[in-house]
Amino acid sequence: MTHISQNSASDHGTSNDVTLDLVNRHSHTGNLFRISAVILSILFVLGIAGFVLRITTDGTSNNDKWGYYAAVFAFILTTAQGAPMVAIAPRIVKAHWRRSTSRAAELWALSGFITTLVFVPLIFVLPGLEDGRRSFWFYHEGEVARYIPHYVGALSVVAMALAGLFLLWVSSLPDLAYIRDHQTGWRQKWAKVFARGWQGTSWQWFMVNHRMGILGAFYFMMLVFTHFVIVADFLMPFVPGWIDALFPATHAFNALQGGVATVLVTLFVMRKFGGYSDFIQFDQMWGLGKLLLATSLLWIWFSFSSFMIFWFGKKPNELYTLDLLMTGPYLWLFIAVFILVFIVPFFTLIWNPVRRSTWGPPLIACFVLVGTLFDRIRLYVAAYSVPADADMHGPIPLDLVPAAVYPDVFDILITIGVIAGAVLIYMLGTRLIPVINIWEQRELSIYQVHKRFHRTEVQVLGKPE
Amino acid sequence: MANEKWGMVIDLDKCTGCQACVVACQSENNVPINDEPLYNQRRASAWIHIERYWEGEFPDVKARFIPVLCQHCDDAPCEPVCPVFATYHNSSGLNVQVYNRCIGTRFCANNCPYQVRFFNFWEPSWPETLKNQLNPDVTVRSRGIMEKCTFCIQRIHKAGRNAKSEGREIRDGNDLDIRALDPACVNSCPTNTLMFYDMNDPESEIAKLAHDELEHDGRGYHLLEDYGTHPSITYLKKVDKDAELHHDSH
Amino acid sequence: MQEYIEHGPKKINRDLLAGVLGLPRWWMPIASVALLVILIAMCAYGWELNRGIGVAGINRPVYWGFYLANFVFWIGISHAGIMVSAILRLTQAEWRRPVTRAAEVLTLFSLLAALSNIFFHLGRPWRFLWIPPYDFARGVWPNVRSPFIWDPSAIGTYLIGSSLFVFIALIPDLAVIRDRVSGKTAKRVYGFLSLGWRGTPRQWKLQTVAGILLSALVLPVFVSVHSIVSWDFAVNVSVEGWHSTIFAPYFIIGAIHSGVSAVAMVMALMVWGWKLENYITRDHFDAIGRLLIVVATTWFFFFALEFFYAIYTLEDPEIALRTMQVFEWPYGPMFFVFIVASYFIPVPLWLLKNVRRSPMGMFLTTISVNIGMWLERFLIIIPGLARKTPFTFDWGTYHPSIVEISLVCFTFAFVTLGVLVFSKFFPLVPIFDVKEGEVFRDEIKVGRRTVPASIRE
Repeated sequence: MTHISQNSASDHGTSNDVTLDLVNRHSHTGNLFRISAVILSILFVLGIAGFVLRITTDGTSNNDKWGYYAAVFAFILTTAQGAPMVAIAPRIVKAHWRRSTSRAAELWALSGFITTLVFVPLIFVLPGLEDGRRSFWFYHEGEVARYIPHYVGALSVVAMALAGLFLLWVSSLPDLAYIRDHQTGWRQKWAKVFARGWQGTSWQWFMVNHRMGILGAFYFMMLVFTHFVIVADFLMPFVPGWIDALFPATHAFNALQGGVATVLVTLFVMRKFGGYSDFIQFDQMWGLGKLLLATSLLWIWFSFSSFMIFWFGKKPNELYTLDLLMTGPYLWLFIAVFILVFIVPFFTLIWNPVRRSTWGPPLIACFVLVGTLFDRIRLYVAAYSVPADADMHGPIPLDLVPAAVYPDVFDILITIGVIAGAVLIYMLGTRLIPVINIWEQRELSIYQVHKRFHRTEVQVLGKPE
Repeated sequence: MANEKWGMVIDLDKCTGCQACVVACQSENNVPINDEPLYNQRRASAWIHIERYWEGEFPDVKARFIPVLCQHCDDAPCEPVCPVFATYHNSSGLNVQVYNRCIGTRFCANNCPYQVRFFNFWEPSWPETLKNQLNPDVTVRSRGIMEKCTFCIQRIHKAGRNAKSEGREIRDGNDLDIRALDPACVNSCPTNTLMFYDMNDPESEIAKLAHDELEHDGRGYHLLEDYGTHPSITYLKKVDKDAELHHDSH
Repeated sequence: MQEYIEHGPKKINRDLLAGVLGLPRWWMPIASVALLVILIAMCAYGWELNRGIGVAGINRPVYWGFYLANFVFWIGISHAGIMVSAILRLTQAEWRRPVTRAAEVLTLFSLLAALSNIFFHLGRPWRFLWIPPYDFARGVWPNVRSPFIWDPSAIGTYLIGSSLFVFIALIPDLAVIRDRVSGKTAKRVYGFLSLGWRGTPRQWKLQTVAGILLSALVLPVFVSVHSIVSWDFAVNVSVEGWHSTIFAPYFIIGAIHSGVSAVAMVMALMVWGWKLENYITRDHFDAIGRLLIVVATTWFFFFALEFFYAIYTLEDPEIALRTMQVFEWPYGPMFFVFIVASYFIPVPLWLLKNVRRSPMGMFLTTISVNIGMWLERFLIIIPGLARKTPFTFDWGTYHPSIVEISLVCFTFAFVTLGVLVFSKFFPLVPIFDVKEGEVFRDEIKVGRRTVPASIRE
């Protein structure tokens, strides 16, 4: 008893109606948008000022002044640059709810500009390998370059940003072609440059899908590798006893949670203020809410695995690391992180009514984002505050744990400025590239059919190979 | 009763590797007889054993002896992992093994960094004539049970009972009482390498020796310090007048 | 699924109950061989009970040997069930339908096989009742700080959860058998077991909700069981190569790797044994092959992390251990076989569509994976113990004895016999699941092409 269903009209009309509607919505810029952009620009400029003041006052040789700077870099790397994964992964398993969210997620690849920019001073802050720090490159004088972590770090940050940008470009090619064909003015000019002769032939469509698949896999590999390099060279070696094989994976998988949270908040803004409430509905929030719950559980599992080994083993170096990062000067910050990143998401998102609402997951996502910022601050500020002359290989007494470092004005300006910069570049990007993936919405109207099934009406979703 | 905390000092400068301590321990604690098949199976039990390391090339070869026994660590890694509480830390600072509670998972043996725990793989047997030699104060263990040095806890308890019946503290006894308290290995050592003492005794000479050698750049050290086990045994380094001066020796 | 064969309920019943209502010709010989191996192994175990652990190859310092390696291996295989039935159910992957029950049954018997290894390994197994909180007449409770107490708790929970899972999914099929079987006792037994199933909408709803709830609830157990088993080793500061924070996720991803490979093996055997090529099609093998590529690569990432961080410690004993594991006899050749068999043979082959779509190809590659993964467990446990601590005076070696080898063979025979006996009394392919898949399957016409589709609410 095979059923062959005819392609009936989707919720939004025919595919052409969908295209015109979305392109029109995209080109309208509201007042709220303009005001926010101005405020964010001011904050970004203040952030640059804070950075200039920091670098002229303290220079790059004093690690403990750069803890907050490194923390906000890691924060953007974890949250904004983890967002494209929300486009990549559901695409692989062909989940249809992703169609409204994928472009919003991919646009966060633009924050790669910010991370690359912010990373440059860190290259100068990180000491060379000759101070005897444990490193992944097994430094030997004369045999291994003493600045190899700096080179590899820079290369991987740049490569990851480029992979994300390339993915964004490939995925928006068809949409930029629609803009080129249906719009006028400066948008049409830029779209013509980027759309580069897109005609919509079968070969071009095949190449887009093929390239998105490969770039998606490459972006994931770059994400894992970049997090690994940042952690293994720019974080863990500062703390002599911190030999934690799991932490690169923890840091990378935090990016999945951060990415989902970022996209959730973005979707809420799109729905409430962007006028896309008919595209962003329960399905999207439910799917992403499940992912947020799953990644929160992953966070607790990985964090507990690391903690358990150190706590049970009781080696002096491990006790030092636990004291520095968790139970000592940063105890309250750690408790806040634990509550925001695990307790709140877990005890709310296990309830279906919360997951199935349009406000639930984004609200929880806000908690997760704040918690992730606190988490990065806890890790990076603590690690960067360890005195540079600490004995790197011997057992360290607990009384050498440095006191908590509080942010000063420059740190606050930099943190706010960098986050504002990332959001600003995203907002500016949405003016050129539509924030809803138009061609995927057209695809949905082809693959989605509503029909009667026994006594109810169901959705039939095509799953092409 | 005053709270004792038992410890040992082992002066490696005096150890000749004669193995008298090994024999004394075996006979005091009913340790199973290690015959040749058992050695070949790598299952020999020696609660205290002399580890011998060779140093240098012929003709400048030196033998280094170190008696290794249960260190009775304050943070013993073997204690948390026993599923049935067959090993625990008592109030006198001893790591105690409860034979009739052990079910033989051998987790504690894996966790011990000093490798001083022994397992009864076979049912121990003594020839008929030697059965009279067994110490009635010490349990004879059957197969499937872990065992290790107890600092001759049976002697400590006996001394404690004697002291209580005489209405005094253990440490206030006369010399003979003190000697009866010492573990068998300490008693048998001809060169006074092994010294047994109460760390909480303010008048103990051995405690002063341990303290001095540990503090003022002396010869004192603990085995495997990096593990954070806080052993109760302090070793005193061998004095080797021919050795070169090393600035980072440890 | 791109190629699709429609069956109809009657044919499904007939095909999938063939193993229950009849008996394939090869069933008796293979079950007899398995039973023989089990009997021989029980004699070996009796010998061990009588004489002591001395009959095994265990010594000082290698206090844990084949039994623990085998224990970890079977816990690993047991992760197959949850991965395939729970996770694939929650992600609504349609291709899981024919294989869920075989995977869950494999889980059940693997867990029992793993538990048996604990008995083999104990010095005084007649005292094992001191591990659960039983017999506290002496006022001594189990030591909750010990990983060996977390182990039975986790494994016990997993066993109960898996059994419930198998049973709840089995109820509709038991009703099908009840209505078709002829003997009086058989009818009564199946009737009792099917709990009065009539197939009413309410019963279906309850059964579906129960399945989904169990899938979600058993997931934390799935993660915690192998994490806890890994912590048997990772909490140990004394043994080189054990004290690594990555052990929990590393063991779990390794378990998923060997478990899903075992499911693929069982899929191939089901196709050959019960002639189920119309139900477990090439598309199913393709799907599990693709899953395996992702799983295997993730596993390799964690393995590489673990290995590199061992060297990153820059501690001489740790580095010396790794040198021994990779380069010295007998561990060097084992390491080479392990890494090639677990990753470098299967995964490149799985990238080829022809291999992925062939039962024989999947069978051979997954056997290779499981040989490699058994060696991996051995290489984690024994070299570290042999070369424990800096005291070279106490270093040792390990040679397994005939008792240990026969008891390892026992576990394989036990799982085989268990699955075979299960298949005689209950259908190995879930009938209701396959029928549900047919009902949910649909097609959409797009232009001139027909795209397979699936009904969602």
